[in-house]
Amino acid sequence: MASGVSVSTESKQVYDDVKKNKLHRYVIYCIKDEREIGVEIKGDRNASYQDFLTQMKELKDQCRYCLFDFPAEAPQEGTNEPSKIALDRLVLMTWCPEGARVKQKMLYASSYDALKKSLVGVYKYVQACDFEELSQEAIEEALKKK
Amino acid sequence: MSSGIYGGDEVGAVVFDYGHYSFRAGYAGEDAPKADIPSAIGLVDQLIEGKDELEKKYLIDVGALNYPRKGVELQSFLKDGLIDDWELFEKILDYSYDKHIRSESQLHPVLISEASWNTRPKREKLTELMFEKYNVPAFFLIKNAVLSAFANGRATAVIVDSGATQTSAVPVHDGYVLQQAIVKSPLAGDFITMQCKQYLEDHEKVELVPNYLVASKEPVKEREPPKYTRKTVPEVSKSWANLQVRTLLQDFQASVLQVSDAPYDKEVAEGMPAVHYEFPTGYNNDYGAKRFEIPEGLFDPSSIRQQLPGTPLGVAQVVTTSVGMCDVDMRPSFYGNITVVGGCTLLQGYADRLQRDLSHKTPPSMRLKFIAPNTPAERRFAPWIGGSILASLGTFQQMWISRQEYDEGGKQVVERKCP
Repeated sequence: MASGVSVSTESKQVYDDVKKNKLHRYVIYCIKDEREIGVEIKGDRNASYQDFLTQMKELKDQCRYCLFDFPAEAPQEGTNEPSKIALDRLVLMTWCPEGARVKQKMLYASSYDALKKSLVGVYKYVQACDFEELSQEAIEEALKKK
Repeated sequence: MSSGIYGGDEVGAVVFDYGHYSFRAGYAGEDAPKADIPSAIGLVDQLIEGKDELEKKYLIDVGALNYPRKGVELQSFLKDGLIDDWELFEKILDYSYDKHIRSESQLHPVLISEASWNTRPKREKLTELMFEKYNVPAFFLIKNAVLSAFANGRATAVIVDSGATQTSAVPVHDGYVLQQAIVKSPLAGDFITMQCKQYLEDHEKVELVPNYLVASKEPVKEREPPKYTRKTVPEVSKSWANLQVRTLLQDFQASVLQVSDAPYDKEVAEGMPAVHYEFPTGYNNDYGAKRFEIPEGLFDPSSIRQQLPGTPLGVAQVVTTSVGMCDVDMRPSFYGNITVVGGCTLLQGYADRLQRDLSHKTPPSMRLKFIAPNTPAERRFAPWIGGSILASLGTFQQMWISRQEYDEGGKQVVERKCP
C-alpha cells in the first residue's frame, strides 16, 4: 500500500554518497509538492548526532525522513565487549511529530514504503514521533538489538 | 503524468467509510465527512398511489428515521463489520449520492474503507457493484486500520478500534495488516448501552421514555417521579422503539459515564464528584459511583454480572493477545505505537485506563506509547480522514483500479491492486 509518491534520483544518489563515499553524516529528506521524495539537507561528515538533533528541532512540527550514518562499534565475536573495529550503521528514521498536521502525517506514513524500498542496505529502521524516540540513547538501543 | 484522467485535483474523489453506528461519506480533500448517517435503515410497506399494491420504502438518515410512524422495522446492512445486506447498502449509497455528494457516481473515483477482516468474496462483490452499477471511473478499497495508522503518522502500529458493536486490535506492519493476528471482542459501545439500560430499568426503576413520547414536562425534585404528559403517536414497532431508547441511552452514556483510572473500587468511586443528569421526562438524579461501575466491564469482563455468550476479552487483553500472535521482533514496535480510535474510546479516561492495564500485562522493559487523536472527530472519523487525504493526492492517481483495468482483469483485480 502506498501513496504513489516517488523517490527522486538525487535521493538515491545522495544515499550512495553516504553509504559508499562517506561524503555526508546524515541526510534529511522531505516530500516535495506532494509528489516526490527529495533531499532537503545534507549534513557535514564531521557533524555529530547532537548537531543533527539541533537541526531537527528547528523543523518544529514538520514530518521528515532522516538517514544517519551511525558510528557503532561492532561487538567482538563470542563476547559482548565492543571490539576496536568501528562500523558505520545506516539508520533510516521516519519523523512524524505529534503536532504535525494530519495531512503531513498521512503523506509521510503512506509514502515511507517507497523510500524504504529505494534505499537498499539500511541497517535499522526507526519510527519516531517525539525527541525521546529520536534520542541518541534510543537509536543506540535499537542498534543493539538484532 | 499520463494517466491523468482519474482522481487528481480536478475531479474530486468520493470517500466512504462504514461502521455499525454510522456511514460516513464525503469528498476527498475535505477535513471531515459531509455526511454521518446512522447505519440503521427503516423499512416500511407503503401503498403505491393509485394502485392497490404495497411497495417497500426505505427510511434513511436522522430526519426520516426519527419520525414515529406505524410499522417501521429497522435493519442494518452490516453484520460483524462486513456488508451483509447488499440491497440496503445500495440504498444508503444512493441516498448519499443524492443528498450529500449531490453528484453522479460516474463522475467521481471512489475510495471505500473496509473492515480489516473483510473477505475476498465480499471485496470482489463490492468492486463489481461499484463498477457495474455505479459506473465509477476508478475505485480503491483499503483497510480502515491502515488508514487510521497512516493518519496518525505511523506505517507500523497496532490499531485499537472500539466502535458500536466491537472492539478490535489490528496490527499494521509497514502499511500492511497482519491478518492472522486480528483479535475482536463484543465489549464496546452497544454493550455499554445495554449495561446502562439494565441498570436504569432494573435497579433505579427509571422509565426510559425517549423524547418523541414527551409532550410536556414539569420540573421535579431529584429522584421524584416525573410529571410529564405523553404524546400520542402511532403504534410503532419494537425495533423502532428500541432505537429511540438506545439514542436516549447513548446521550446518558456520553454525558455521565467515565472510566475509572484504576480497577473499579467502590470506595474510591464514591469519593468522586457525581454528575447530574435529567431524562426527557424531567426525572433527574445524581450519578456517582455508578458512572464508573458501568464502563468497568469493558476493561474487566469478570465484573459483568450478567451472563454473556462465550468469554469476551477486556480491551487490554484484546491488545496483548493480538500483539502476542505477532513475531517477537515486531512486538516492541507495536507496543510503542498503540493507536486508539473509534467512538467508544471517547468515554472519558478510556486511553489512560488502557495504558494502565497494559503496563501491568506487559514486561516492564516494554516501552508503551499511546497515540490517541485529540479531537472527537479525528477519533471517530480517523479512517475517513485518512482516506480523504490519500484519495486527494495527485500521485494517488496511479494507485486506483481504473475502469480499464477492471474491464480487462475483472473483479479479481481488487486483490492485486488493493491488498
